Amino acid sequence: MIQLDQVVKTYQAGLATPFTAVDGVSLSVPDARLTVLKGPSGSGKTTLLTLIGCMARPTSGRIHLHGLPAGTLSQLAEGEALEITSLPERFLTTIRRRTFGFIFQQFNLIRGISVLENVTLPTYPTGEDHRSVEARAVARLESLGLARHIHASVDRLSGGEAQRVAIARALINDPAVIIADEPTAHLDSRLSEDFMRLMGEFRAAGKTLLITSHDPIVYDSPLADRVIEMRDGRVVAGP
Amino acid sequence: MIQHPGILALLLASGLVSLLLTAAGWQGFRILLRWDQHSGSEAQLELERRTYLVSTLVAAGLVIQILSLFLFCFTADGLHSQFVGAMCAAGSLAVNPFGYPTLMAKIATCLLAGVWLVLHRVDTQGHDYPLIRPKYALLLILVPLVLLEAWLQVRYLTGLKADVMTSCCGSLFGQGRQGLASELAGLPSRIMQPVFWASFTALIAAGILLLRTKRGAAVFSAFSLAFLLVAVASLVSLFCLYIYELPTHHCPFCLLQREHGFVGYPLYGALLGGAISGLGVGALEPFRHQKSLAEALPWMQARLAWTALSLAGLFTLIVGIWMFLSPLKL
Repeated sequence: MIQLDQVVKTYQAGLATPFTAVDGVSLSVPDARLTVLKGPSGSGKTTLLTLIGCMARPTSGRIHLHGLPAGTLSQLAEGEALEITSLPERFLTTIRRRTFGFIFQQFNLIRGISVLENVTLPTYPTGEDHRSVEARAVARLESLGLARHIHASVDRLSGGEAQRVAIARALINDPAVIIADEPTAHLDSRLSEDFMRLMGEFRAAGKTLLITSHDPIVYDSPLADRVIEMRDGRVVAGP
Repeated sequence: MIQHPGILALLLASGLVSLLLTAAGWQGFRILLRWDQHSGSEAQLELERRTYLVSTLVAAGLVIQILSLFLFCFTADGLHSQFVGAMCAAGSLAVNPFGYPTLMAKIATCLLAGVWLVLHRVDTQGHDYPLIRPKYALLLILVPLVLLEAWLQVRYLTGLKADVMTSCCGSLFGQGRQGLASELAGLPSRIMQPVFWASFTALIAAGILLLRTKRGAAVFSAFSLAFLLVAVASLVSLFCLYIYELPTHHCPFCLLQREHGFVGYPLYGALLGGAISGLGVGALEPFRHQKSLAEALPWMQARLAWTALSLAGLFTLIVGIWMFLSPLKL
Protein backbone atom coordinates (compact mmCIF):
# COMPACT_ATOMS: atom_id res chain seq x y z
CA MET A 1 0.00 0.00 0.00
CA ILE A 2 1.12 3.55 -0.72
CA GLN A 3 0.25 6.01 2.03
CA LEU A 4 0.41 9.77 1.53
CA ASP A 5 0.33 12.08 4.50
CA GLN A 6 -0.29 15.81 4.00
CA VAL A 7 1.79 15.97 0.85
CA VAL A 8 2.45 19.44 -0.58
CA LYS A 9 4.40 20.31 -3.71
CA THR A 10 5.16 23.96 -4.36
CA TYR A 11 7.15 24.97 -7.40
CA GLN A 12 9.32 28.10 -7.15
CA ALA A 13 8.96 28.01 -3.38
CA GLY A 14 10.54 31.06 -1.78
CA LEU A 15 10.48 33.01 -5.07
CA ALA A 16 8.12 35.76 -6.20
CA THR A 17 5.73 33.44 -8.02
CA PRO A 18 5.29 30.24 -6.04
CA PHE A 19 2.81 27.71 -7.40
CA THR A 20 1.35 24.96 -5.27
CA ALA A 21 0.54 22.03 -7.57
CA VAL A 22 -0.35 19.56 -4.80
CA ASP A 23 -1.85 20.97 -1.65
CA GLY A 24 -2.03 18.83 1.49
CA VAL A 25 -3.02 15.51 -0.09
CA SER A 26 -3.54 12.56 2.22
CA LEU A 27 -4.65 9.28 0.71
CA SER A 28 -3.83 5.61 0.44
CA VAL A 29 -3.44 3.47 -2.66
CA PRO A 30 -4.26 -0.18 -1.87
CA ASP A 31 -2.21 -3.10 -3.18
CA ALA A 32 -3.36 -5.12 -6.21
CA ARG A 33 -6.07 -2.61 -7.05
CA LEU A 34 -6.61 -0.16 -9.88
CA THR A 35 -6.79 3.40 -8.60
CA VAL A 36 -7.61 6.27 -10.94
CA LEU A 37 -6.71 9.89 -10.26
CA LYS A 38 -9.29 11.94 -12.10
CA GLY A 39 -9.40 15.66 -12.68
CA PRO A 40 -8.96 18.47 -15.22
CA SER A 41 -5.63 19.69 -16.53
CA GLY A 42 -3.70 21.53 -13.82
CA SER A 43 -5.41 19.69 -10.99
CA GLY A 44 -2.12 18.20 -9.75
CA LYS A 45 -2.58 14.59 -10.91
CA THR A 46 0.71 14.30 -12.78
CA THR A 47 2.65 16.08 -10.04
CA LEU A 48 1.21 13.66 -7.52
CA LEU A 49 2.27 10.72 -9.69
CA THR A 50 5.83 12.03 -9.94
CA LEU A 51 5.96 12.35 -6.15
CA ILE A 52 4.64 8.82 -5.59
CA GLY A 53 6.96 7.45 -8.27
CA CYS A 54 10.04 9.02 -6.61
CA MET A 55 10.71 11.26 -9.59
CA ALA A 56 10.32 14.43 -7.52
CA ARG A 57 10.34 15.27 -3.83
CA PRO A 58 7.47 17.01 -2.05
CA THR A 59 7.88 20.38 -0.38
CA SER A 60 6.39 18.90 2.77
CA GLY A 61 4.56 15.76 3.85
CA ARG A 62 5.56 12.11 3.80
CA ILE A 63 4.94 9.13 1.54
CA HIS A 64 5.21 5.58 2.88
CA LEU A 65 5.49 2.40 0.85
CA HIS A 66 4.18 -0.67 2.65
CA GLY A 67 4.72 -4.29 1.78
CA LEU A 68 7.82 -3.88 -0.35
CA PRO A 69 9.09 -7.19 -1.69
CA ALA A 70 12.09 -8.74 0.05
CA GLY A 71 15.42 -7.50 -1.23
CA THR A 72 14.18 -4.09 -2.39
CA LEU A 73 16.57 -2.54 0.13
CA SER A 74 18.88 -4.88 2.02
CA GLN A 75 18.30 -2.94 5.26
CA LEU A 76 14.54 -3.51 5.27
CA ALA A 77 12.77 -6.49 6.77
CA GLU A 78 10.16 -8.02 4.51
CA GLY A 79 6.91 -6.08 4.70
CA GLU A 80 8.45 -3.18 6.60
CA ALA A 81 7.18 0.26 5.59
CA LEU A 82 9.61 2.61 3.91
CA GLU A 83 9.34 6.39 4.00
CA ILE A 84 10.45 7.52 0.55
CA THR A 85 10.45 11.32 0.67
CA SER A 86 13.56 11.44 2.85
CA LEU A 87 15.50 8.78 0.95
CA PRO A 88 18.88 9.81 -0.42
CA GLU A 89 19.04 9.68 -4.21
CA ARG A 90 21.01 6.42 -4.41
CA PHE A 91 18.21 4.58 -2.58
CA LEU A 92 15.51 6.34 -4.60
CA THR A 93 17.08 5.02 -7.78
CA THR A 94 16.78 1.46 -6.46
CA ILE A 95 13.16 2.01 -5.42
CA ARG A 96 12.26 3.57 -8.78
CA ARG A 97 13.88 0.72 -10.66
CA ARG A 98 12.49 -2.19 -8.66
CA THR A 99 9.14 -0.96 -7.41
CA PHE A 100 7.66 1.24 -10.13
CA GLY A 101 6.98 0.83 -13.80
CA PHE A 102 6.14 4.03 -15.63
CA ILE A 103 3.91 4.54 -18.65
CA PHE A 104 4.17 8.13 -19.83
CA GLN A 105 1.62 10.18 -21.70
CA GLN A 106 3.98 10.68 -24.66
CA PHE A 107 5.27 7.07 -24.27
CA ASN A 108 8.87 8.43 -24.20
CA LEU A 109 10.28 5.68 -26.40
CA ILE A 110 13.83 6.21 -27.62
CA ARG A 111 13.70 6.92 -31.33
CA GLY A 112 16.20 5.29 -33.66
CA ILE A 113 16.51 2.03 -31.74
CA SER A 114 14.45 -1.11 -31.97
CA VAL A 115 11.40 -2.13 -29.99
CA LEU A 116 13.40 -4.84 -28.19
CA GLU A 117 16.16 -2.41 -27.27
CA ASN A 118 13.63 0.07 -25.89
CA VAL A 119 12.03 -2.60 -23.75
CA THR A 120 15.31 -3.92 -22.34
CA LEU A 121 16.78 -0.46 -21.61
CA PRO A 122 15.62 -0.23 -17.95
CA THR A 123 17.45 -3.48 -17.15
CA TYR A 124 20.89 -2.23 -18.21
CA PRO A 125 21.84 -0.69 -14.82
CA THR A 126 20.81 -3.87 -12.99
CA GLY A 127 23.60 -5.91 -14.56
CA GLU A 128 21.19 -8.77 -15.19
CA ASP A 129 22.20 -11.38 -17.76
CA HIS A 130 21.24 -9.95 -21.13
CA ARG A 131 20.01 -13.26 -22.60
CA SER A 132 17.48 -13.80 -19.84
CA VAL A 133 16.38 -10.16 -20.12
CA GLU A 134 15.88 -10.53 -23.87
CA ALA A 135 13.94 -13.75 -23.43
CA ARG A 136 11.68 -12.01 -20.93
CA ALA A 137 11.23 -8.99 -23.19
CA VAL A 138 10.39 -11.14 -26.20
CA ALA A 139 7.82 -13.09 -24.17
CA ARG A 140 6.23 -9.88 -22.95
CA LEU A 141 6.13 -8.34 -26.43
CA GLU A 142 4.56 -11.53 -27.81
CA SER A 143 1.91 -11.47 -25.10
CA LEU A 144 1.10 -7.88 -26.10
CA GLY A 145 0.76 -8.84 -29.77
CA LEU A 146 3.98 -7.19 -30.88
CA ALA A 147 5.92 -10.28 -31.96
CA ARG A 148 6.40 -9.11 -35.54
CA HIS A 149 7.71 -5.69 -34.46
CA ILE A 150 10.41 -6.91 -32.08
CA HIS A 151 13.32 -5.84 -34.26
CA ALA A 152 11.56 -2.90 -35.93
CA SER A 153 12.47 0.67 -35.14
CA VAL A 154 9.97 2.36 -32.82
CA ASP A 155 9.61 5.19 -35.34
CA ARG A 156 7.46 2.91 -37.50
CA LEU A 157 4.90 2.01 -34.85
CA SER A 158 1.33 3.23 -34.65
CA GLY A 159 0.09 5.01 -31.48
CA GLY A 160 -1.43 1.85 -30.02
CA GLU A 161 1.65 -0.21 -30.77
CA ALA A 162 3.95 2.42 -29.29
CA GLN A 163 1.90 2.40 -26.14
CA ARG A 164 2.11 -1.38 -25.83
CA VAL A 165 5.88 -1.13 -26.21
CA ALA A 166 5.83 1.43 -23.40
CA ILE A 167 3.80 -1.02 -21.30
CA ALA A 168 6.27 -3.83 -22.01
CA ARG A 169 9.11 -1.54 -20.98
CA ALA A 170 7.33 -0.57 -17.75
CA LEU A 171 6.95 -4.24 -16.87
CA ILE A 172 10.43 -5.48 -17.76
CA ASN A 173 11.76 -5.19 -14.17
CA ASP A 174 8.60 -6.83 -12.82
CA PRO A 175 7.56 -3.83 -10.67
CA ALA A 176 4.92 -4.12 -7.95
CA VAL A 177 3.35 -0.81 -8.95
CA ILE A 178 2.49 0.43 -12.45
CA ILE A 179 2.07 4.17 -12.80
CA ALA A 180 0.44 5.50 -15.96
CA ASP A 181 0.03 9.20 -16.72
CA GLU A 182 -2.88 9.94 -19.09
CA PRO A 183 -2.24 6.68 -20.94
CA THR A 184 -5.20 6.99 -23.29
CA ALA A 185 -4.68 10.63 -24.25
CA HIS A 186 -3.39 9.69 -27.72
CA LEU A 187 -5.54 6.62 -28.33
CA ASP A 188 -8.90 6.16 -29.99
CA SER A 189 -11.76 4.57 -28.06
CA ARG A 190 -11.06 0.99 -29.19
CA LEU A 191 -7.40 1.20 -28.25
CA SER A 192 -8.30 2.86 -24.94
CA GLU A 193 -10.62 -0.05 -24.12
CA ASP A 194 -7.87 -2.51 -25.10
CA PHE A 195 -5.56 -0.66 -22.75
CA MET A 196 -8.00 -0.95 -19.86
CA ARG A 197 -8.44 -4.66 -20.54
CA LEU A 198 -4.67 -5.05 -20.26
CA MET A 199 -4.67 -3.14 -16.98
CA GLY A 200 -7.35 -5.49 -15.72
CA GLU A 201 -5.07 -8.45 -16.51
CA PHE A 202 -2.22 -6.84 -14.60
CA ARG A 203 -4.47 -6.16 -11.63
CA ALA A 204 -5.53 -9.80 -11.66
CA ALA A 205 -1.84 -10.71 -11.64
CA GLY A 206 -1.42 -8.76 -8.37
CA LYS A 207 0.00 -5.51 -9.68
CA THR A 208 -0.95 -2.21 -8.06
CA LEU A 209 -2.10 0.23 -10.73
CA LEU A 210 -2.24 3.99 -10.41
CA ILE A 211 -3.54 5.86 -13.43
CA THR A 212 -4.24 9.53 -13.98
CA SER A 213 -6.87 10.35 -16.55
CA HIS A 214 -9.68 12.63 -17.52
CA ASP A 215 -10.93 10.05 -20.03
CA PRO A 216 -14.30 8.50 -19.04
CA ILE A 217 -13.21 5.20 -20.62
CA VAL A 218 -10.65 5.00 -17.80
CA TYR A 219 -12.40 6.46 -14.77
CA ASP A 220 -15.83 5.03 -15.57
CA SER A 221 -14.37 1.60 -16.29
CA PRO A 222 -15.74 -1.21 -14.07
CA LEU A 223 -12.10 -2.25 -13.63
CA ALA A 224 -11.35 0.89 -11.63
CA ASP A 225 -11.53 -0.07 -7.96
CA ARG A 226 -11.21 3.45 -6.76
CA VAL A 227 -11.54 6.86 -8.37
CA ILE A 228 -10.01 9.84 -6.61
CA GLU A 229 -11.00 13.23 -7.95
CA MET A 230 -8.59 16.13 -7.77
CA ARG A 231 -9.01 19.84 -8.37
CA ASP A 232 -6.60 22.70 -7.75
CA GLY A 233 -4.09 20.35 -6.14
CA ARG A 234 -6.54 18.95 -3.62
CA VAL A 235 -8.53 15.77 -3.34
CA VAL A 236 -12.18 16.68 -3.70
CA ALA A 237 -13.78 13.23 -3.86
CA GLY A 238 -13.03 9.58 -3.22
CA PRO A 239 -9.97 9.63 -0.95
CA MET B 1 57.97 34.64 -1.13
CA ILE B 2 54.18 34.60 -1.10
CA GLN B 3 54.27 34.13 -4.88
CA HIS B 4 55.70 30.63 -4.44
CA PRO B 5 53.24 28.22 -6.15
CA GLY B 6 53.10 25.98 -3.09
CA ILE B 7 52.27 28.87 -0.79
CA LEU B 8 49.60 30.18 -3.15
CA ALA B 9 48.06 26.70 -3.42
CA LEU B 10 48.07 26.26 0.35
CA LEU B 11 46.48 29.65 0.98
CA LEU B 12 43.88 29.11 -1.72
CA ALA B 13 43.01 25.62 -0.48
CA SER B 14 42.88 26.81 3.10
CA GLY B 15 40.61 29.74 2.21
CA LEU B 16 38.27 27.52 0.22
CA VAL B 17 38.07 24.83 2.88
CA SER B 18 37.52 27.42 5.62
CA LEU B 19 34.68 29.05 3.70
CA LEU B 20 33.10 25.73 2.87
CA LEU B 21 33.31 24.38 6.40
CA THR B 22 32.03 27.60 7.96
CA ALA B 23 28.94 27.46 5.73
CA ALA B 24 28.56 23.73 6.42
CA GLY B 25 28.99 24.36 10.15
CA TRP B 26 25.91 26.57 10.04
CA GLN B 27 24.01 23.74 8.37
CA GLY B 28 25.35 21.37 11.03
CA PHE B 29 24.14 23.70 13.75
CA ARG B 30 20.65 23.75 12.22
CA ILE B 31 20.66 19.97 11.94
CA LEU B 32 21.64 19.45 15.57
CA LEU B 33 18.94 21.89 16.59
CA ARG B 34 16.03 20.99 14.31
CA TRP B 35 16.51 17.54 12.76
CA ASP B 36 13.39 15.44 13.24
CA GLN B 37 12.99 12.66 10.75
CA HIS B 38 9.49 11.86 11.95
CA SER B 39 8.33 15.28 10.85
CA GLY B 40 7.20 15.91 7.31
CA SER B 41 7.50 19.66 7.71
CA GLU B 42 8.85 21.86 4.97
CA ALA B 43 11.85 22.79 7.16
CA GLN B 44 12.75 19.13 7.73
CA LEU B 45 12.45 18.22 4.06
CA GLU B 46 14.56 21.23 3.13
CA LEU B 47 17.23 20.08 5.64
CA GLU B 48 17.19 16.59 4.13
CA ARG B 49 17.62 17.93 0.61
CA ARG B 50 20.36 20.32 1.63
CA THR B 51 22.36 17.93 3.79
CA TYR B 52 23.09 15.65 0.86
CA LEU B 53 24.75 18.46 -1.09
CA VAL B 54 26.48 19.96 1.96
CA SER B 55 27.90 16.59 3.06
CA THR B 56 29.27 15.95 -0.42
CA LEU B 57 30.95 19.36 -0.52
CA VAL B 58 32.35 18.94 3.00
CA ALA B 59 33.76 15.53 2.05
CA ALA B 60 35.54 17.09 -0.93
CA GLY B 61 36.82 19.93 1.28
CA LEU B 62 38.16 17.54 3.89
CA VAL B 63 39.98 15.46 1.28
CA ILE B 64 41.69 18.72 0.24
CA GLN B 65 42.42 19.43 3.91
CA ILE B 66 44.11 16.04 4.33
CA LEU B 67 46.14 16.45 1.14
CA SER B 68 47.17 19.96 2.21
CA LEU B 69 49.20 18.45 5.07
CA PHE B 70 51.46 16.74 2.56
CA LEU B 71 51.60 19.84 0.35
CA PHE B 72 52.53 21.88 3.41
CA CYS B 73 55.43 19.54 4.21
CA PHE B 74 56.50 19.48 0.56
CA THR B 75 56.40 23.30 0.35
CA ALA B 76 58.24 23.77 3.65
CA ASP B 77 60.91 21.37 2.41
CA GLY B 78 61.18 23.17 -0.92
CA LEU B 79 61.56 26.54 0.80
CA HIS B 80 64.52 25.55 2.97
CA SER B 81 67.04 26.87 0.48
CA GLN B 82 65.63 30.38 1.03
CA PHE B 83 66.69 30.48 4.67
CA VAL B 84 70.18 30.68 6.08
CA GLY B 85 70.87 27.61 8.16
CA ALA B 86 67.89 25.53 7.04
CA MET B 87 68.67 22.10 5.54
CA CYS B 88 65.10 20.77 5.22
CA ALA B 89 61.51 21.47 6.29
CA ALA B 90 62.63 21.36 9.94
CA GLY B 91 64.53 24.60 9.44
CA SER B 92 61.80 26.24 7.32
CA LEU B 93 59.22 25.54 10.00
CA ALA B 94 61.44 27.14 12.64
CA VAL B 95 61.70 30.43 10.70
CA ASN B 96 58.90 31.93 12.78
CA PRO B 97 56.83 30.82 15.78
CA PHE B 98 53.86 29.67 13.64
CA GLY B 99 55.55 26.91 11.61
CA TYR B 100 55.38 23.99 14.03
CA PRO B 101 51.96 24.93 15.50
CA THR B 102 50.62 24.97 11.92
CA LEU B 103 52.05 21.50 11.33
CA MET B 104 50.53 20.18 14.57
CA ALA B 105 47.15 21.74 13.75
CA LYS B 106 47.28 20.22 10.26
CA ILE B 107 48.01 16.76 11.68
CA ALA B 108 45.13 17.08 14.18
CA THR B 109 42.68 18.24 11.48
CA CYS B 110 43.93 15.51 9.14
CA LEU B 111 43.07 12.81 11.71
CA LEU B 112 39.69 14.33 12.56
CA ALA B 113 38.85 14.94 8.91
CA GLY B 114 39.65 11.29 8.19
CA VAL B 115 37.32 10.13 10.96
CA TRP B 116 34.60 12.46 9.64
CA LEU B 117 34.99 10.95 6.18
CA VAL B 118 34.61 7.46 7.67
CA LEU B 119 31.40 8.51 9.47
CA HIS B 120 30.12 10.14 6.29
CA ARG B 121 30.85 7.06 4.20
CA VAL B 122 28.93 4.83 6.60
CA ASP B 123 26.11 7.35 6.97
CA THR B 124 25.47 7.23 3.24
CA GLN B 125 25.02 3.45 3.45
CA GLY B 126 21.89 3.82 5.60
CA HIS B 127 18.61 4.97 4.07
CA ASP B 128 17.54 6.98 7.13
CA TYR B 129 20.57 9.25 7.75
CA PRO B 130 21.66 7.10 10.71
CA LEU B 131 24.78 9.09 11.62
CA ILE B 132 23.57 12.56 10.70
CA ARG B 133 23.81 14.00 14.22
CA PRO B 134 27.24 12.59 15.24
CA LYS B 135 28.58 13.49 11.81
CA TYR B 136 27.58 17.13 12.11
CA ALA B 137 28.55 17.29 15.81
CA LEU B 138 32.07 16.24 14.77
CA LEU B 139 31.96 18.82 11.99
CA LEU B 140 31.24 21.52 14.56
CA ILE B 141 34.42 20.46 16.40
CA LEU B 142 36.34 20.43 13.12
CA VAL B 143 35.28 23.89 11.97
CA PRO B 144 37.09 25.92 14.69
CA LEU B 145 40.13 23.66 14.36
CA VAL B 146 40.30 24.18 10.60
CA LEU B 147 39.85 27.93 11.06
CA LEU B 148 42.63 27.96 13.69
CA GLU B 149 44.86 25.98 11.37
CA ALA B 150 44.10 28.38 8.50
CA TRP B 151 44.95 31.37 10.68
CA LEU B 152 48.21 29.78 11.88
CA GLN B 153 49.11 28.91 8.30
CA VAL B 154 48.46 32.45 7.08
CA ARG B 155 50.60 33.83 9.91
CA TYR B 156 53.36 31.35 9.13
CA LEU B 157 53.38 31.74 5.34
CA THR B 158 53.00 35.52 5.31
CA GLY B 159 55.67 35.80 8.02
CA LEU B 160 58.37 34.05 6.02
CA LYS B 161 61.32 36.42 5.58
CA ALA B 162 64.25 35.34 3.45
CA ASP B 163 66.84 37.16 5.55
CA VAL B 164 66.03 35.19 8.70
CA MET B 165 68.64 32.84 10.12
CA THR B 166 67.15 29.59 11.30
CA SER B 167 68.28 26.36 12.89
CA CYS B 168 69.23 23.28 10.92
CA CYS B 169 67.61 19.93 11.62
CA GLY B 170 70.82 18.58 13.12
CA SER B 171 70.53 21.27 15.74
CA LEU B 172 66.76 20.92 16.30
CA PHE B 173 66.82 17.13 16.54
CA GLY B 174 70.21 16.86 18.17
CA GLN B 175 70.60 15.04 21.46
CA GLY B 176 71.37 16.90 24.65
CA ARG B 177 69.17 19.93 23.87
CA GLN B 178 65.87 20.98 25.35
CA GLY B 179 62.48 20.52 23.69
CA LEU B 180 60.27 17.73 22.40
CA ALA B 181 62.29 17.17 19.20
CA SER B 182 65.49 16.75 21.10
CA GLU B 183 63.89 14.50 23.69
CA LEU B 184 62.46 12.27 20.96
CA ALA B 185 65.87 12.05 19.35
CA GLY B 186 67.40 11.20 22.69
CA LEU B 187 65.16 8.19 23.36
CA PRO B 188 67.48 5.18 23.67
CA SER B 189 67.25 2.73 20.78
CA ARG B 190 67.53 -0.31 23.06
CA ILE B 191 64.24 0.78 24.64
CA MET B 192 62.49 2.11 21.54
CA GLN B 193 63.08 -1.03 19.49
CA PRO B 194 61.19 -3.36 21.88
CA VAL B 195 58.56 -0.68 22.51
CA PHE B 196 57.93 -0.38 18.77
CA TRP B 197 57.66 -4.14 18.26
CA ALA B 198 55.44 -4.46 21.33
CA SER B 199 53.16 -1.73 19.98
CA PHE B 200 53.04 -3.35 16.55
CA THR B 201 52.32 -6.78 18.04
CA ALA B 202 49.60 -5.35 20.30
CA LEU B 203 47.96 -3.68 17.30
CA ILE B 204 48.03 -6.89 15.26
CA ALA B 205 46.64 -8.90 18.20
CA ALA B 206 43.85 -6.36 18.77
CA GLY B 207 43.09 -6.42 15.04
CA ILE B 208 42.88 -10.22 14.90
CA LEU B 209 40.65 -10.22 17.99
CA LEU B 210 38.39 -7.60 16.43
CA LEU B 211 38.16 -9.37 13.08
CA ARG B 212 37.44 -12.75 14.68
CA THR B 213 35.11 -11.80 17.51
CA LYS B 214 33.80 -8.38 16.37
CA ARG B 215 34.76 -7.12 19.82
CA GLY B 216 37.39 -4.73 21.13
CA ALA B 217 36.87 -1.87 18.68
CA ALA B 218 37.75 0.76 21.30
CA VAL B 219 40.94 -1.11 22.24
CA PHE B 220 41.91 -1.42 18.59
CA SER B 221 41.38 2.34 18.13
CA ALA B 222 43.51 3.13 21.19
CA PHE B 223 46.27 0.81 19.94
CA SER B 224 46.14 2.43 16.50
CA LEU B 225 46.67 5.86 18.00
CA ALA B 226 49.38 4.50 20.29
CA PHE B 227 51.10 2.89 17.31
CA LEU B 228 51.13 6.24 15.50
CA LEU B 229 52.82 7.95 18.46
CA VAL B 230 55.27 5.11 19.12
CA ALA B 231 56.11 4.80 15.42
CA VAL B 232 56.87 8.53 15.11
CA ALA B 233 59.05 8.39 18.26
CA SER B 234 60.79 5.26 16.94
CA LEU B 235 61.29 6.86 13.55
CA VAL B 236 63.02 9.88 15.12
CA SER B 237 65.04 8.01 17.70
CA LEU B 238 65.89 4.85 15.79
CA PHE B 239 64.79 4.22 12.20
CA CYS B 240 66.09 7.54 10.85
CA LEU B 241 69.59 6.52 11.78
CA TYR B 242 69.40 3.49 9.48
CA ILE B 243 67.83 5.46 6.65
CA TYR B 244 70.45 8.25 6.81
CA GLU B 245 73.20 5.75 7.64
CA LEU B 246 74.40 8.19 10.28
CA PRO B 247 74.34 7.39 14.00
CA THR B 248 73.62 11.01 14.97
CA HIS B 249 71.05 12.28 12.45
CA HIS B 250 67.49 12.06 13.77
CA CYS B 251 65.59 14.52 11.55
CA PRO B 252 62.12 13.24 10.53
CA PHE B 253 61.88 15.88 7.76
CA CYS B 254 64.94 14.92 5.70
CA LEU B 255 62.98 11.76 4.86
CA LEU B 256 60.87 13.96 2.59
CA GLN B 257 63.82 14.78 0.35
CA ARG B 258 64.86 13.31 -2.98
CA GLU B 259 68.20 12.10 -1.51
CA HIS B 260 66.26 9.62 0.58
CA GLY B 261 63.82 8.60 -2.13
CA PHE B 262 60.98 10.73 -0.65
CA VAL B 263 60.48 7.78 1.70
CA GLY B 264 58.87 10.08 4.26
CA TYR B 265 55.70 10.41 2.19
CA PRO B 266 54.79 6.70 2.15
CA LEU B 267 55.90 6.37 5.77
CA TYR B 268 53.81 9.26 7.06
CA GLY B 269 50.98 8.42 4.67
CA ALA B 270 50.88 4.88 6.04
CA LEU B 271 50.98 6.08 9.64
CA LEU B 272 48.26 8.70 9.22
CA GLY B 273 46.09 6.45 7.03
CA GLY B 274 46.45 3.63 9.55
CA ALA B 275 45.60 5.91 12.46
CA ILE B 276 42.52 7.30 10.67
CA SER B 277 41.33 3.78 9.85
CA GLY B 278 41.95 2.59 13.41
CA LEU B 279 40.21 5.59 14.93
CA GLY B 280 37.35 5.11 12.47
CA VAL B 281 36.76 1.59 13.82
CA GLY B 282 36.22 2.98 17.33
CA ALA B 283 34.24 5.99 16.13
CA LEU B 284 31.72 3.64 14.47
CA GLU B 285 31.35 1.28 17.43
CA PRO B 286 28.64 3.25 19.33
CA PHE B 287 26.38 2.97 16.27
CA ARG B 288 26.68 -0.76 15.85
CA HIS B 289 23.05 -1.30 16.80
CA GLN B 290 21.61 1.12 14.24
CA LYS B 291 19.16 -1.03 12.32
CA SER B 292 19.79 0.51 8.92
CA LEU B 293 23.54 -0.09 9.35
CA ALA B 294 23.23 -3.71 10.46
CA GLU B 295 25.13 -4.90 7.39
CA ALA B 296 27.20 -1.89 6.36
CA LEU B 297 28.76 -0.99 9.70
CA PRO B 298 30.42 -4.31 10.66
CA TRP B 299 31.60 -4.65 7.06
CA MET B 300 33.12 -1.16 7.17
CA GLN B 301 34.73 -1.79 10.57
CA ALA B 302 36.34 -4.96 9.25
CA ARG B 303 37.55 -3.16 6.16
CA LEU B 304 38.98 -0.31 8.23
CA ALA B 305 40.69 -2.75 10.58
CA TRP B 306 42.28 -4.51 7.61
CA THR B 307 43.39 -1.15 6.23
CA ALA B 308 44.90 -0.08 9.57
CA LEU B 309 46.75 -3.40 9.91
CA SER B 310 47.96 -3.31 6.32
CA LEU B 311 49.25 0.25 6.63
CA ALA B 312 50.98 -0.52 9.95
CA GLY B 313 52.50 -3.53 8.19
CA LEU B 314 53.57 -1.36 5.25
CA PHE B 315 55.30 1.12 7.59
CA THR B 316 57.06 -1.71 9.41
CA LEU B 317 58.04 -3.36 6.14
CA ILE B 318 59.58 -0.16 4.75
CA VAL B 319 61.60 0.65 7.87
CA GLY B 320 62.47 -3.04 8.25
CA ILE B 321 63.84 -3.26 4.72
CA TRP B 322 65.79 -0.06 5.29
CA MET B 323 67.23 -1.40 8.57
CA PHE B 324 68.15 -4.67 6.89
CA LEU B 325 69.82 -3.05 3.90
CA SER B 326 71.51 -0.22 5.78
CA PRO B 327 75.26 -0.57 6.22
CA LEU B 328 74.84 1.09 9.63
CA LYS B 329 74.67 -1.36 12.52
CA LEU B 330 73.89 0.00 15.96
